[in-house]
Amino acid sequence: MTAKKILIVDDEQDVCVYLSRLFQENGYDAICAADGNEALAKVQAERPDLVTLDLSMPNKSGVKFYREIKSQPELSGIPVVFVTGITGLGGDSGATERFYATRHQVPPPEGFVAKPIEAQEILGLVNRLIGL
Amino acid sequence: MPETRFDLHELAGGRLFDEAPCYISVQDRDFHIIGANRKLIEDFGDHISEKCYTIYQGRAQACPECPVARTFEDGKEHTGEQTLFDRRGLPHEVLVNTSALRNHSGEIAAVIKLFTDITIQKELEHRLHDSLSRFHNLFDVVPCYISVQDREFHIVEANQRFKDSFGDRLGGHCYEIYKRRSDRCPRCPVAETFADGKMHTAEEVVIDNAGHRVYVVVYTAPVRDSRGNITDVMEVSTDITEIRALQDKLASLGQLVGSIAHSTKNMLEGLRGGVYVTNLGFRDNNQEDIRTGWAMVERNVGRLSAMIMDMLYCAKDRSPRRLPVLLPALAREVVALSAPRAKDVSVKLGAEIAEKMDTLLGEPRDIHSLISNLISNAMDACVTDQNEQKDYRVVLRVFQESSQAVIEVEDNGAGMDQETQDRLFTMFFSTKGTFGTGLGLLVAHKVATEHGGTIAVKSAPGEGSRFTVRLPLEVAK
Repeated sequence: MTAKKILIVDDEQDVCVYLSRLFQENGYDAICAADGNEALAKVQAERPDLVTLDLSMPNKSGVKFYREIKSQPELSGIPVVFVTGITGLGGDSGATERFYATRHQVPPPEGFVAKPIEAQEILGLVNRLIGL
Repeated sequence: MPETRFDLHELAGGRLFDEAPCYISVQDRDFHIIGANRKLIEDFGDHISEKCYTIYQGRAQACPECPVARTFEDGKEHTGEQTLFDRRGLPHEVLVNTSALRNHSGEIAAVIKLFTDITIQKELEHRLHDSLSRFHNLFDVVPCYISVQDREFHIVEANQRFKDSFGDRLGGHCYEIYKRRSDRCPRCPVAETFADGKMHTAEEVVIDNAGHRVYVVVYTAPVRDSRGNITDVMEVSTDITEIRALQDKLASLGQLVGSIAHSTKNMLEGLRGGVYVTNLGFRDNNQEDIRTGWAMVERNVGRLSAMIMDMLYCAKDRSPRRLPVLLPALAREVVALSAPRAKDVSVKLGAEIAEKMDTLLGEPRDIHSLISNLISNAMDACVTDQNEQKDYRVVLRVFQESSQAVIEVEDNGAGMDQETQDRLFTMFFSTKGTFGTGLGLLVAHKVATEHGGTIAVKSAPGEGSRFTVRLPLEVAK
């Protein structure tokens, strides 16, 4: 049986490396995308089993990406986990709040993990969503 | 000596005179007192046959404008105000009324003088005058702009401070004077007070004589006439420009703290990831994991320490040392250090650096961080732009123009609108999501000004930006 594939969308390269090694260690395949556009291309080409998405990327590309995949019937079934630093301060942390404020237009994500990422927390969530 | 002693009791109802609550005397043509009521005698002494100006006022001659003399002249009633001294020498302000007493043949035989003590009224008048002038002083010196406006928003009265700041233009429209508008403002607290008679408040931006924008808090209150009708509205405006500036500064400081916290979190995440990957490498004896993980650790330690240096730099006020800075060599060094990141983010980094320049005196470390902050800012502007059609490039130019060193960093990244450009160097300001803390340009600005130089930006959204720093050079003798 082939390993399930996770797409990690984060503009912080180190976070991508960290999460891909963490997932690989725990029996998953992992691929990375640095922004929403790249993520959309990879979702279509690679059909991952789950996506982790940093919403607070520049130019709101994370939010755009999420709306895009949730509006396409062939992609909307892929579970998405938001990974973001909601400190309420700095960066584009308002992205999450703004997203929730308008979420009636799209379904909520399947999971949510706050930065700094606890390895066991995100693994537990991923295992629950797509199990090994 | 007077001819007769005038018996007041012979006048109608003599008792009435004695009991009248005022002073009454009768005088002849030479100002002799020939009759007095009891109250006058009690308070001022019995001075029958003496001249009034001598006893009551201590004068040698008749008073000027004497109402008694005038009544003798024209037979009419006269009034006047005088100060008289009583038997204890105390002054009394009195209002004097005189009228003629005629004999059977109709000639003026004497003048009856009725004087009312108005000391208390005089005192009240003084107090009223004092409080009026105190009120006026207050009106003028109070640290607010005060104007009184009629229903058509004409300024009918204004305090000195208002006139000093907005011109002495009584009669003009409030909106013309305060805001340079040609018609009334859409929401007007003065109009609201006219409508409901209550106090209203608003925050406004007005323009003073010098053309400066002044932030004010406006309070309006009705001015009513004795029947309670609102005739005018008083508007009191307090200048809160400085408070506004402080608020902005505090808000941007809050933003900075947030953005530092956010960046720190990302760097810690990177460190944690690096430690994790390194540990995997040690466990499996996998050299590649060790290299990758350790590079992550190094990168994030570098970012953390750079950010902390920037924070410390911004926190301190100091004057830089004046060491000779080899600007061309230093600039090439920064370009070499920035090259790996440029490659990572696919930005072409170019450099046009003069071979030889006059000496720049300053702090080499500061000039280093000035240039590297500008380059890193330019690269961020390219990364955030995300336009697949563009080939991103950043160019550093360093050259001499007369006695100035010019450091120019140009990118073809996201660019900025005017509002962003205006706030760039005065605020901690970041538009870059997780990339920037907003410290970089603040540091660049601080270095430039501390070295006696300037920093300017030219930019347009979608077209990139050019930052130009000019620093004074020591011209070689």
